[in-house]
Amino acid sequence: MAGLGQTLGRAATWPLTLAARAVDPPLRAWQRRTGTGGMAAVFLAPNLLIFSVFVLVPLVLNFAYSMTGGTGILLGQRPFVGAEQYARLLECQDYTRPITCREDQFWTAVGNTAQFVIFQVSLMVVVSLITALILNRDIRGRSFFRAVFFFPVLLSPVVVGLIWRWILQRQGLLNLIMVKLGLEPEVWLNDRVYAFAATIGVSTWAHMGFYTLILLAGLQAIPRDLYEAAEMDATPPGRVFWRITLPLLGPNLAVVLVLALIRGVQIFDEAYVLTGGGPGTSTLYLTQYIYESGFASLLREPGLAAAASILMGAVLVVLTLIQLWLSRRAEGRKAR
Amino acid sequence: MGRIVLDGITKSFGATQVIHGIDLEIEEGELAVFVGPSGCGKSTLLRLIAGLDRPTSGRIEINGRDVTRASAADRGLAMVFQSYALYPHMTVRQNLSFGLENTRMPKPEIAERIDEAGRMLEIGELMERRPTQLSGGQRQRVAIGRAIVRNPTAFLLDEPLSNLDAELRGTMRAELARLHARLATTMVYVTHDQVEAMTLADKIVVLRGGRIEQVDTPLGLYNRPQNLFVAGFIGAPNMNFFRVRATGGQAELPGGLSLAVPGEGEVTVGIRPQGLHLATGDGPALEVVIRLVEALGAETVVHADAADGTPVVTVLSGQPSLAAGQPIRLAFDADAVHFFGADGMRLEA
Repeated sequence: MAGLGQTLGRAATWPLTLAARAVDPPLRAWQRRTGTGGMAAVFLAPNLLIFSVFVLVPLVLNFAYSMTGGTGILLGQRPFVGAEQYARLLECQDYTRPITCREDQFWTAVGNTAQFVIFQVSLMVVVSLITALILNRDIRGRSFFRAVFFFPVLLSPVVVGLIWRWILQRQGLLNLIMVKLGLEPEVWLNDRVYAFAATIGVSTWAHMGFYTLILLAGLQAIPRDLYEAAEMDATPPGRVFWRITLPLLGPNLAVVLVLALIRGVQIFDEAYVLTGGGPGTSTLYLTQYIYESGFASLLREPGLAAAASILMGAVLVVLTLIQLWLSRRAEGRKAR
Repeated sequence: MGRIVLDGITKSFGATQVIHGIDLEIEEGELAVFVGPSGCGKSTLLRLIAGLDRPTSGRIEINGRDVTRASAADRGLAMVFQSYALYPHMTVRQNLSFGLENTRMPKPEIAERIDEAGRMLEIGELMERRPTQLSGGQRQRVAIGRAIVRNPTAFLLDEPLSNLDAELRGTMRAELARLHARLATTMVYVTHDQVEAMTLADKIVVLRGGRIEQVDTPLGLYNRPQNLFVAGFIGAPNMNFFRVRATGGQAELPGGLSLAVPGEGEVTVGIRPQGLHLATGDGPALEVVIRLVEALGAETVVHADAADGTPVVTVLSGQPSLAAGQPIRLAFDADAVHFFGADGMRLEA
């Protein structure tokens, strides 16, 4: 059997061996000519190629589109308009009243996204923290509950949106339960407040497992001795939380906060599937505005959409830099 | 005050029993050291006294009060952890005051206690630093300071010196002894280092497999070990053991040396390395061949083998001229010999 296994193994690796033999001589020649640095370039090239095709070139093209006008799709068909698209987006008499802005939908989406981020991120941090604190305790079925809370993270956002739409729609599961309980059914997704709350609740449900995991790792990194020392010091549980757990969890909380902020600004798929931006424009968020301006509206304006996405990208870059700074600071603290 | 009594203490984790019926009395002001190999239950026993774990059965009394079910906070004890367990985000001053603030002690009194501990432990200059900015020795002092400011009934110290280098460990050992003399508070100290145990303890509790092997003073343990385990555990290098068969009160050591034995049948003869010395003259002696010579300057440790292959270690004073492969003859005084029966228990000569 061992002989057969070896033969099968050799057969399976045969194509790889052949490929390796084919590329070996030119690689050796290249290394002789360029040294180690040249070889590094060879090994990095596939990834750089993928990055260029799918990230760098689209980014540059996007920037180029943002400098053009008209409704043409191909860049060659679009006239150069300079920063006009940015000027259109930013032109406003009163920024607190979107209706006074030239692109009122953009500012409505900005306002909705800002409100969404404030409420959703706060809720996300609090719920994730409470869940992590509970899952960190020595409770029965701890592993099961950890898996349960993480499971929604594995779902596709579209699936999440559909599940909750079926639950919250007029003849959905929630209303069915309410009728069974003798309560009046509600038109959840047609009410501005409920629909907005639903997008917050659903996205929190869908992503909290990820943040819970980060906080759980932070909680588990706090040495048990510290809690025992606090126990010896007769420290009340509330004081243990505020004076020991929370400060030591600070770096993880900061990372969670910024990651949730970034993801909050980018909210699209599950909210779009759930409410489609409605009722009216009450759940129209920035990414949906960009998508609809560029691709889905009758009057497609790729230039405007590109400019809006560049502005959103700038906000995300700032948030990402903050996140990187916080991560490095946390690593620095751990190293000390 | 600070008398601790353990009565029939057992502890099990699931189906595994780790402490088997411990009875022990630690007197007021005494420094008791729990010593034993890894996994012997010494830290578990300390945690049971601290109230960080609950015994499966038995009773713990502190100053005559049954505290078996009392929380750690209600026992009036202070603990110094092996890892120091200092709050890393707090300054030294905040670390020291944290426990006192829990008792709602007035701020001036807290400040007074911290200043006094700072003077006593010479950490006054470090009050505004965080633990990460302190050396190992300084952290150790702060950890002790945190215990001192609480003015506890007894101190519990869980291998407090094990994270320090050898030199600092020696210094801190002396400081701990001085501190105990000054505070005169009961201390329970856990260590696997017998030098710490021997130098610090008023009373040593030798543990093995969750059972007490012997409780005695350091010299009591060294001079009169009650069984083979204690004889082998206490003293460095380890005691030499020779298994012999005694008949008519006599037994023969490897090489033919005969000696009087208080027992019959299988007997283990124990002689400490410090009890063996080079024989002078042609009288009866233990004949061995040197395997290794470790010259330490003030003394020389000689590793040798007896005729039947039994390893023999001796510590000779000074710097005798010896080499590996050389046969030597070793003599010993009658009072340096310990005897143990087939059950491993001490036989009185």
